[in-house]
Amino acid sequence: MIIEALIAFTFVSAMAVLLAPDEWAGRLAFALSLVPFLGSLFLWARFDGSGNALTGGELAFETQIDWIEVGGYTIQWFVGLDGISLPLVVLTAFLVPLAIVSAWTPIDDRQSQFYGLILFMEANLIGVFAALDFFAWFVFWEAVLLPMYFLIGVWGGPRRKYAAIKFFVYTNAASLVMFLGFMALVFSLPVETFGLPEVTQSIAAGELGSFYGIPAETIGLVAFVAMFAGFAVKVPMVPVHTWLPDAHVEAPTPASVLLAGVLLKMGTYALLRFNFTMLPDQASTLAVPIAALAVISVIYGAMLALAQQDLKRIVAYSSVSSMGYVILGLIAFTVYGVGGATFQMVAHGLISGLMFMAVGVIYNATHTRMVTDMSGLADRMPVAVWILVAGAFAYMGLPLMAGFAGEFYVFVGSFGSPVANGLMPVFTALAMFGIVIVAGYLLFAMQRTLFGPFRLDTDYELGRAPRRETLPLAALLVAIIVLGVAPDLFFEMIREAVVPVVEGGVN
Amino acid sequence: MVDAFAYVPAIVALPFVSFLVALAFGKYLPKGGAFGGIAATAGSFLLSLWVLATVAAGGQHVETLYTWVSTDGIAGGIGPQEIELTFGVLIDPLSALMLVIVTLIAMLVHVFSLGYMNDEGEPDLPRYYAGLGLFTASMLGFVVADNLLMAFMFFELVGLCSYLLIGFHFREPGPPSAAKKAFLVTRFGDYFFLVGVVAVFATFGTASFAGSESFPVLAEHALAGEFDAWTPFGLEAGTWFTAVGLLVLGGAIGKSAQFPLHTWLPDAMEGPTPVSALIHAATMVAAGVYLVARMYGFYVLTPTTMAIIAFVGGFTALFAATMGLVKDELKQVLAYSTISQYGYMMLALGAGGYVAAVFHLMTHAFFKALLFLGAGAVIIAMHHEENMWEMGGLKEKLPVTYWTFLAGSLALAGIFPFAGFWSKDEILYEALVHGLNEPLLLGAWAMGLLAVPVTAFYTFRMVFLTFHGEPRTDVARDPHPVRWNVKGPLTVLGVLAVVAGTVNMVPVQKVLGIEGIDLLHLWLDGHYGGFSELTSHHYAELGPYSSGYIAGGEVPTVLIGAGVSLALALGGLGLAWKLYNVAEPAEHTAALGGVKTVLYNNYYQDELQVRLAGVTAGVASAADTFDQGVIDGVVNGVSSVSLVSGDRIRRVQTGVVTHYAALLTLGVTGLILVLGVLGGWFL
Repeated sequence: MIIEALIAFTFVSAMAVLLAPDEWAGRLAFALSLVPFLGSLFLWARFDGSGNALTGGELAFETQIDWIEVGGYTIQWFVGLDGISLPLVVLTAFLVPLAIVSAWTPIDDRQSQFYGLILFMEANLIGVFAALDFFAWFVFWEAVLLPMYFLIGVWGGPRRKYAAIKFFVYTNAASLVMFLGFMALVFSLPVETFGLPEVTQSIAAGELGSFYGIPAETIGLVAFVAMFAGFAVKVPMVPVHTWLPDAHVEAPTPASVLLAGVLLKMGTYALLRFNFTMLPDQASTLAVPIAALAVISVIYGAMLALAQQDLKRIVAYSSVSSMGYVILGLIAFTVYGVGGATFQMVAHGLISGLMFMAVGVIYNATHTRMVTDMSGLADRMPVAVWILVAGAFAYMGLPLMAGFAGEFYVFVGSFGSPVANGLMPVFTALAMFGIVIVAGYLLFAMQRTLFGPFRLDTDYELGRAPRRETLPLAALLVAIIVLGVAPDLFFEMIREAVVPVVEGGVN
Repeated sequence: MVDAFAYVPAIVALPFVSFLVALAFGKYLPKGGAFGGIAATAGSFLLSLWVLATVAAGGQHVETLYTWVSTDGIAGGIGPQEIELTFGVLIDPLSALMLVIVTLIAMLVHVFSLGYMNDEGEPDLPRYYAGLGLFTASMLGFVVADNLLMAFMFFELVGLCSYLLIGFHFREPGPPSAAKKAFLVTRFGDYFFLVGVVAVFATFGTASFAGSESFPVLAEHALAGEFDAWTPFGLEAGTWFTAVGLLVLGGAIGKSAQFPLHTWLPDAMEGPTPVSALIHAATMVAAGVYLVARMYGFYVLTPTTMAIIAFVGGFTALFAATMGLVKDELKQVLAYSTISQYGYMMLALGAGGYVAAVFHLMTHAFFKALLFLGAGAVIIAMHHEENMWEMGGLKEKLPVTYWTFLAGSLALAGIFPFAGFWSKDEILYEALVHGLNEPLLLGAWAMGLLAVPVTAFYTFRMVFLTFHGEPRTDVARDPHPVRWNVKGPLTVLGVLAVVAGTVNMVPVQKVLGIEGIDLLHLWLDGHYGGFSELTSHHYAELGPYSSGYIAGGEVPTVLIGAGVSLALALGGLGLAWKLYNVAEPAEHTAALGGVKTVLYNNYYQDELQVRLAGVTAGVASAADTFDQGVIDGVVNGVSSVSLVSGDRIRRVQTGVVTHYAALLTLGVTGLILVLGVLGGWFL
């Protein structure tokens, strides 16, 4: 029951913060958000799951009760964690308190609503990663959109309305496509619940039948493509990525942190669960186009980042690039590939969180994010700047930091992968060139903004960043280094959970 | 008995601790944490000597210390081989020798920094000493690495440290730009290296350097048909190994500043001079050559790779030397000489001269560190003036600097009997005897030989302009004195530059037949301790080359080779003497005509790279336009075509939370209804 308790506590906290006065809503939200964080650490310490949740592995903290009977289907309240979902729950619960602290400085309006929405989002995010029944999962999935829509639309920058609506409509339309795909799948199966494990195992047993005269193979392929398209928007993959830079640029810092840190991982997590675990055969069939899309995301996303002058846009586009690695790892269907992709979700969550937060600290002080507006900031705000430099190197995949581990596993896993007619070495080598481009745009941006003689084109006095702004950065940096030095903290359980996925794919 | 090998991790850890201490407490410590750094590197140096002595007594050591990624509990046979990723140490004659070199140079650089940084009142000393500590630790981690992945990881950390130290003076515009260039250009090489690492794992399932299950040994077995290595696209094992070798070589070419990835190195002179000494002599630039030497057992298996290494090396040796001819700044001359000298090492490796390459790596470490620190002393004396035309006549004012610098210069120019003569001569000898049967290699040898007089000329042009003649400026007439912390390191290195060649007097051994004075050959051949698969004769057996001799035998070949290269070196020196060892030297470069402009502008490669960067930026901005216009245009087009729905959304967006909550509830209800209808609930 501990997962339910955490989700419920976070919902209640959200309500409490909504009702609290603006003056100390931020402090209260931070204090309350520590409970789910400690709870996630407890989950981690007591984690006893093994195998993959969808393929009949041993679940940790499982609850499975029948909830609603609808049209011959039983909707369950079914939650539980395996080695794939636990790291993402920990990531979420770790990022939220830091995002809350990072909001203290810039958010000076309707604080109680702001922090209430963040906690509301956290509850749903935990739900997304823990739910194993499609119905509950979908409700959480959709409910995440709502607070993010407000965070962007109310507290965002000048074009916030455009960005918020674009985000909401785009991802919601994608959810519809995905929903239809999944439903087509379920109705072609002799299952009586929407439980994801049951669906997965039924497909694995070869029970996919025809539906209204459409043959099973077509159903499988159509469902795969529909779900892939739906989730690809969330990831986002090229060419359905254009909502992301707009959303990031307009979103306030804490929203960006959670958007890049956790919300994008919902897409890759769902791809792993639905597309690659449930329909490995279809994935293998489509391996060449998927790997090609992954490579395009990496290289094209990085090239776009290279063209930007807005620090936040740079980091936003580089997320598109980094998420391409995740897709490449998933399609490889090797332990290192899929496991590395999962690890990269966590690593990128921490690193992009750090980058967005650091850019936020700079913005708080300078009120600009344009590369051309400033230079030499290292002289005035050394602590924040050097942590930003460390984060940038983490982004470039510096060894002994989390990003390198994730990327390297993906590369090792995908280079020798037998999928895609033996073309994976080529795809991998092409995607790896991303590590040069990422170094290019981050080093150029740092050279121009952080180093050189001091100059600031906006009329603000620049001093050291206050501790409450630099401490969350430092916390993230420590986490990035710890995971980079000891990736087995997560990778061990991830590996166990991805082995069944891989076995499904290489049949 | 206490085991020296148990302390190998401490050799790496001590400078790392000094990094942490300087970072955390540097501003509270005297001298900004310098003493911690000196103590740490001195400790590492002593431990390294102990390790060296233990290897000399017949020891060798390979041990896995930390499992980065274990494979416990994972069933085998899934996709590519199950791969365990580990950190470990490999101590053999090569790494033991390199440990001593790196720790010695690092220690001397730390001491010298007291004079160059502290006494000159530089700011941010804790950051400086933290950087030096991390730099040393990263390099030492790279040296002791027992597998290619660990080597890559520390290789990258070395790159990071060079970025931090080259850009140390970040408040000026130049250093951050140079730091960026250094990281980016070497990253470009490291991209190939990383693909190579991944390919090695995919091919062999291991990246170990030593042992019967190491990848060079497995490659050997694969070529003999005894091991079934994975290859992509159904390639032949030999072809694929050539590709893998070239990929890894990309990293070495980047870090060791070989053509065409050498352009970062002259810019890296923006860093503080002691850092230049560390980068050029013992750490970053040495890392590339060391990497090739470390996995030499793999390279000797593929003749094509060997030929390419030799050719790139020979070409770089000559090419960089010509650019050194016309430079005005002391450190710029040294920068090009570094590129050129590492070219010689690559030439040696490609020519099958494994020992010669390691020998030159060692002697070069001593004399190049000496020359850079000497240049640092001159720069202190000249109040941070680096242009040689502003100097002159410093010989009398700075005797210690002059005599040690002269020793280093004689070594660099390859004049008998200084250290550089022995090592360079052996490289050219190896290239010649192996090249007589290999035309491509002979071409590389010719370029190496041609670079000898050029090297001697630019070296002594530098010496004469700096120290001889009449002082040309007021500062040169009254230079700033230097203290013990400058003279001490110079003296140590000066002695080494004179005598280091004696560890490997191969020509003497060959001509006079005195056994045992080719110590380094015996050392690297495992006569004392070491692994049999990592010995020089094992490499020679595997290698593609056979020896040929001129004038009817080994001894005449040795004598003619040494004589010719010494004569050429003396010729270059003599010309420099004639032109520049005068009271008031003139430039004399006008005689070169258009060539001078080309050389002065480094063959316009920097322009080329800037243009490449410009093209990349153009592509990027075209991609951005495409993204905004076409891809996002379609998205916005779709939304504005459905005007009605757009209008609805605008109305939906009321801004009242309860409305949205109501919508969400409605949505969930609708969802249940849809499920019901589809599931036949109402039928």
